[in-house]
Amino acid sequence: MGWIEKWTLRFAVVALIFLAMTGFEGVLMRTHMAAPEALAGFEQALNAVRIADHEPTPAELLYGMMTVHPIVGVYGFAYMSVMGAFYFLVPYLLKKEIRHKKLVPLNFWLQTGGVLLCWLSGFFGLFNSLYTLYWPLPVSFDRVPLVGTIPFTVGAAVIMVNILLFSFNTFSTVLSKSNPQSYSFWQFLRAAFGISRLMKWLGKEDKNAPNLDYNGLPVFVVAVARGSIDTVINAIVLLTAGALILVYGLAALLGHPLNPMAVDALVYKNWFWWGLDMVADGNVLIYTAGVWYLLIPLLVGRRLFGESVVRTVIMVDLLVSLGVWSHHLLGDQVQPLWMRLLSGQIITWGEFFTMGLTIFASLMTIWKARPVKITTPLLFILGSIFGFIIGGGAGLIQANVGLNLILHNTQWVIMTHAHTLLLTGLSMLLFAVIYALVPMLTGREIRSRALTLAHFWFWTVGSVLMTYVMGMAGSQGMLRRMLYPQPNPYQVYLNVAWVGGILMTIGFLAFLVNLVATLGWESVLGLVIERKHPVPVAAG
Amino acid sequence: MDRQERIWLGVLVAVFALVNVITLSPLVPWQQWILWDRPTPQQQVRVEFGDYQIRLPSGGIQVKAGEFVEFVATSQDVTYGLGVFRKDGRMVFQMQVVPGHENRIVWRFDQPGAYDIRSTEYSGPRHPEMFVPDAIQVTP
Repeated sequence: MGWIEKWTLRFAVVALIFLAMTGFEGVLMRTHMAAPEALAGFEQALNAVRIADHEPTPAELLYGMMTVHPIVGVYGFAYMSVMGAFYFLVPYLLKKEIRHKKLVPLNFWLQTGGVLLCWLSGFFGLFNSLYTLYWPLPVSFDRVPLVGTIPFTVGAAVIMVNILLFSFNTFSTVLSKSNPQSYSFWQFLRAAFGISRLMKWLGKEDKNAPNLDYNGLPVFVVAVARGSIDTVINAIVLLTAGALILVYGLAALLGHPLNPMAVDALVYKNWFWWGLDMVADGNVLIYTAGVWYLLIPLLVGRRLFGESVVRTVIMVDLLVSLGVWSHHLLGDQVQPLWMRLLSGQIITWGEFFTMGLTIFASLMTIWKARPVKITTPLLFILGSIFGFIIGGGAGLIQANVGLNLILHNTQWVIMTHAHTLLLTGLSMLLFAVIYALVPMLTGREIRSRALTLAHFWFWTVGSVLMTYVMGMAGSQGMLRRMLYPQPNPYQVYLNVAWVGGILMTIGFLAFLVNLVATLGWESVLGLVIERKHPVPVAAG
Repeated sequence: MDRQERIWLGVLVAVFALVNVITLSPLVPWQQWILWDRPTPQQQVRVEFGDYQIRLPSGGIQVKAGEFVEFVATSQDVTYGLGVFRKDGRMVFQMQVVPGHENRIVWRFDQPGAYDIRSTEYSGPRHPEMFVPDAIQVTP
């Protein structure tokens, strides 16, 4: 097995460890909400090693965990998977090496370290401002402990800088294929925002300029490079928000607290969501689309349906992702109405078109390739398309000036929309990539078809059950981020959702057992721990 | 563009137009006064948030069913949410309460009865305590 293949598997193994961590937190939170007393002994044991000037309340523990749960899930599991997969696939498809090879191990360690530091700040340091970081809560040190805030912002900064390095490496590798000459920063930027493609459309093509839509680039690579623009914007915006919080934290630490009201909470919220949405509505969708465009034709043995439309969709989606952030501010009556209508609702519906056309192209490719053998990766891709249809549809229902008044901050938003997208949509896609890549990287076929089917059905049924039933609770008024006193009016929903979480756990365990059975314990450990005499993975 | 793609794009455009026209129209009851009529409210109610407390006007909030009431909510520290709920827990409406701003929303209650207020935005670990039962009395 080659150098990059080994690093790809390392990224995958650590990504799955992070998925196990975030899943474990998810089960703990589900259990806490369904049966608050069930975890008392566990909490007491953890409190013995926590840094706090008082015995933490169950609410502090829950919100600390809730804060880092998405960081571990998104920046640990999803980003690590993406980094590993793209570092293998991009050079493989371009038939050239990664431009800056030294960045690969650096990306691995920085991402792992940054995520772990954030996790420690929440799980043990009780940083509890939640991932939304609404100003001025993260700097309200009577509510959010300073001892958690500073390491959290440092960890987040490490992650964001690392993502910038990864994006730079990916983007420069892609562009160096379309135009091997050296290029300036402005040429780089013109290519990133599709200006070169636009000029080509207008008949004024500059053949010397690097062009993201260079005809020789596979659609997947164009999507990866395009998605990295969102990734960069997201990282820069979150870096600025983190730096602001860090400045306030250090000032408080030095005994010179700053006035939180010096920063306008609404302006901050707009800036924050504009950047954060580059992930939620930018790179997640376009990276996902890119992987569908790559794997589906490979798996069904047919050229991608409607490739020219697909290339246009990839570029148009950048404009959409730049303009949709106000759908997070539909509950803010101080946000100008025209922005809520235009950005929050109408432009957000742009995703209905970009994802609608993407899903259509993907399904038509499969349909026209009939008869098709439903291999394991294809099965999981179909599951991910299902997840994006359900989760995306739920998102469009709430991205509505009228309906958001009764859906904002309910369980509908976080479960039927966000968790369906993440668990049924994105996670299934990443599983598909792992199932497809493991034989390519190691030469070994996945060991047990029965375990892959168990993984698929337990995960699908569990995730849909959990998110759907909590969405039902949301439509009955159950808020997200809320601990209801006993007797909890939503107890039945919580119990069923807990069962859904356990089904997912069983599915995930089936996946892990299958993966270890395929690779062997020695090989898996050898990826993480350097040995003098490494065990070859590709012995199959 | 392929014929099948054009047909599908037409379907997407039709769904987009249908859903947005319906949900922006008075078929969603509160869109009538929030987007279209913009009536002058008969009553204004100020609600103050701060230090995990929801402070209502002295004497509580009494409104008449069918009349327009404007809620003006302010926060002295962090972001909260003004959420109004029926006694069975279902939400009537909510808005974010952003500090440094006057957050306003006009509402018309159709059903007489008692309504609860709960903060709908996380404001720190004591956020779940921010609940005022029977905060609003709507009379016929």
